[in-house]
Amino acid sequence: MTNFTSLTEVCNAVSAFIQRCTDDPHAAGFDELALGLFAFQFARNAPYANLCRAENLTPETVANWRDIPTVQTRAFKSLDLTVLPEADRETLFRSSGTTQADRSRHFHCAKTLAVYHTSLWPWFVGHLVDESANRLLFLFPDLDQAPESSLVHMMDTAAKRLAKRECCFAADGQWQIDSQVAVDFLHDCATQNEPVTILGTAFSFVHLLDHLNADAMDFQLPSSSAAMETGGYKGRSREMPKAELHRAITAKLGVPSSRIICEYGMCELSSQAYDGKLGQANAAPRLFRFPPWARARVVSPETLADVELGQSGLLQVVDLANAGSALSLQTEDLAKRHADGFELLGRAELAESRGCSLMNLSHD
Amino acid sequence: MTEQSLDYFLADKPGAELSRSLVADACQTLRRNRNEYLSTLGNEQIISKLTEVANLWSSPDYPLRQMALDADPEETGFPREVLAAGLDACFADWTQEKYFMLLSQEFGDPTRLQSFASQPNRSFSMVNGPQLIAHIAPGNLPVPVFQSIAFGLLLRSAQFVKCASGKSLLPRLFGHSLHFVEPGMAAALEIAEWDGGNEPPESALFAEADCVTVNGSDKTVESIRQRLPLAKRLACYGHRVSFGYVEKQANEVMGTQTVISHAADDIVAWNQHGCLSPHVIYVEQNGSLNPSRFADMLAEELEARNEAMPRGPISAKEAAAIATARRFYKIREANNAGAALWESKDSTDWTVVHEDEKQFQTSPLNRFIFVKPIEHIDEALHVLEPIRESVSTVGLAASEARMRDLALPLARWGVPRICPLGQMQRPPLAWRHDGRPPLGELIRWTDLETA
Repeated sequence: MTNFTSLTEVCNAVSAFIQRCTDDPHAAGFDELALGLFAFQFARNAPYANLCRAENLTPETVANWRDIPTVQTRAFKSLDLTVLPEADRETLFRSSGTTQADRSRHFHCAKTLAVYHTSLWPWFVGHLVDESANRLLFLFPDLDQAPESSLVHMMDTAAKRLAKRECCFAADGQWQIDSQVAVDFLHDCATQNEPVTILGTAFSFVHLLDHLNADAMDFQLPSSSAAMETGGYKGRSREMPKAELHRAITAKLGVPSSRIICEYGMCELSSQAYDGKLGQANAAPRLFRFPPWARARVVSPETLADVELGQSGLLQVVDLANAGSALSLQTEDLAKRHADGFELLGRAELAESRGCSLMNLSHD
Repeated sequence: MTEQSLDYFLADKPGAELSRSLVADACQTLRRNRNEYLSTLGNEQIISKLTEVANLWSSPDYPLRQMALDADPEETGFPREVLAAGLDACFADWTQEKYFMLLSQEFGDPTRLQSFASQPNRSFSMVNGPQLIAHIAPGNLPVPVFQSIAFGLLLRSAQFVKCASGKSLLPRLFGHSLHFVEPGMAAALEIAEWDGGNEPPESALFAEADCVTVNGSDKTVESIRQRLPLAKRLACYGHRVSFGYVEKQANEVMGTQTVISHAADDIVAWNQHGCLSPHVIYVEQNGSLNPSRFADMLAEELEARNEAMPRGPISAKEAAAIATARRFYKIREANNAGAALWESKDSTDWTVVHEDEKQFQTSPLNRFIFVKPIEHIDEALHVLEPIRESVSTVGLAASEARMRDLALPLARWGVPRICPLGQMQRPPLAWRHDGRPPLGELIRWTDLETA
């Protein structure tokens, strides 16, 4: 096991591993790095260490990355799960939520943020960028307006790294899309025959599609256009089943279904999963895959042991790019395990008392 | 007898297309049958048939009961032991005496249902039930459906019971027992299932019915309210939550183990599904039983209960909600962040969370209970203010004298039902659901003013 003595060492090792995996997806070293990172976080992240000690799963007793204690993503709401001393917490990623107490907090410094960028980029490129030099329409606020959104950071990184392409951010700080700006941009793409990649949350797509419907408008964008859709609805728009949303994107925008990609990520993680690559995205079921430096497991909610192939359970992720926080997370998402990925099934919401729905006071 | 041999209600024929005209025809038949027979019966006749049905269901050998208990828990929602206990508790209460008590409670003079009866002001009045009631049945518990049907019969109403898809088995079995005991009464009852919002059968049903009762989520209630013509009577029972409250001297008066055992009764009954089951048990501080010790003992009791009456399997989604909540409290416990967790090993069978934070918390249910310390009743009512209008039942553990002291502020604050801890899921037959008269809500009075 690597014995890390500083955050710089950790971040360098993780970045180097990501680089190796980018060159060779089967690069060895995940297990060792995971255990080294665990030991480092155990030593520096006090709330996490307390959990590990309570479960008697510490660097002395854990020899397999699968045994590294998981942190429930919801715990990021009330505990400072970070190795960073207060003075070094330069950047804060927060999840969406209605009240401050209801939002997760994931702290970063320049070093861990650099790891975040190193992690997100190759997987983003691998799934959403191909030879056609698409323009980019972000149905997101820009970074100045939403500095605490990990997703906006990601979009900002993409825009900067694809700076030669024409970009447009078409939402405000409240994530309200400026339909006119979006429509003008799309109109320009269509008339200039410039393919465009539209990136947005599911609710932003619904807002855009509703706007197009209201104005009885649709676009036939160039055929190498694409769409990346992510996140849930969070009550910000009416909800549409995924297949229906994708059909509408094809119908109203002309984006072929094989070029609509879903992203799965969250502020508590530093890597993302995608459910397909451009041109190959219409297979059902839609299977998500994380990059090699983040491993997903589907565990039985009863026993927390891995489920068999084809079974469903809770999704856990061990993400080495979470260098400065906690690498092993238990999400609130239900997933089905497949040989080469996982299928998302929905949220593990509070049990609805069948036929008698209960209000939800302090859970998100 | 096999389930296949039961063929009487629409819901007995799986996959049958329920068109607008089919439902309308069914309603007209029900109404006719009701006019010809049910409406001519007296209270005694109806009540004696209801108690006969209850006696059958209380007998362990009764084939329809056995069929219910043998059914896939997926279909009934409950494992055998939990269902058996719930059915026993329900039907034990269906006695002649209690039915007549219900009628007296609602109408003063039970004969008012059959003819005019005098009133204290020397005029006369009688009550009439709706000719046809449509029940939109809850998907979680069977007992409210049985009761709705029984109450509809008492009011001589034809009834159309609409169940959620795949949730009609227990109402159907109950309906069949009524059919065997008294076919004439069952001829005024129909049971069908479809997914809520299915426009053709629902619009026909709403057009035909004189009165609609709805047990369901606020969303269901709202959607039906909007679609129902203004002239129709609507009785809706939307979402409610309940909690337990242990007074600080309760354990001295009742014995600690009794208090714990009563709390467990309420958590185990119907696996906490239903509006009357507790999410949280508040335990008064500064007594001889501290809240944390209470949680510890309750955990031990729930483990023992799980031996005698296993909770049974639940869906991955429900289990995931428990696993998520547990993991969240685990790290809080490890950090002394005001929470402690007790949990069953290698399963989600039961969970107790002791939490200093006093705010009401919705539980993921399926035997997951929060125990919270509280200073006194005034503090409880203060922290519970956000849910004031959504409370159904408060289960109290206290001496009789203290119970009355506590009941007054609870009632003034807005709680419709206060009962001893351990009885939360066993409301008496005549209980006033959400504080409203169970029969009075459905009927029409006719006053006869004499010169």
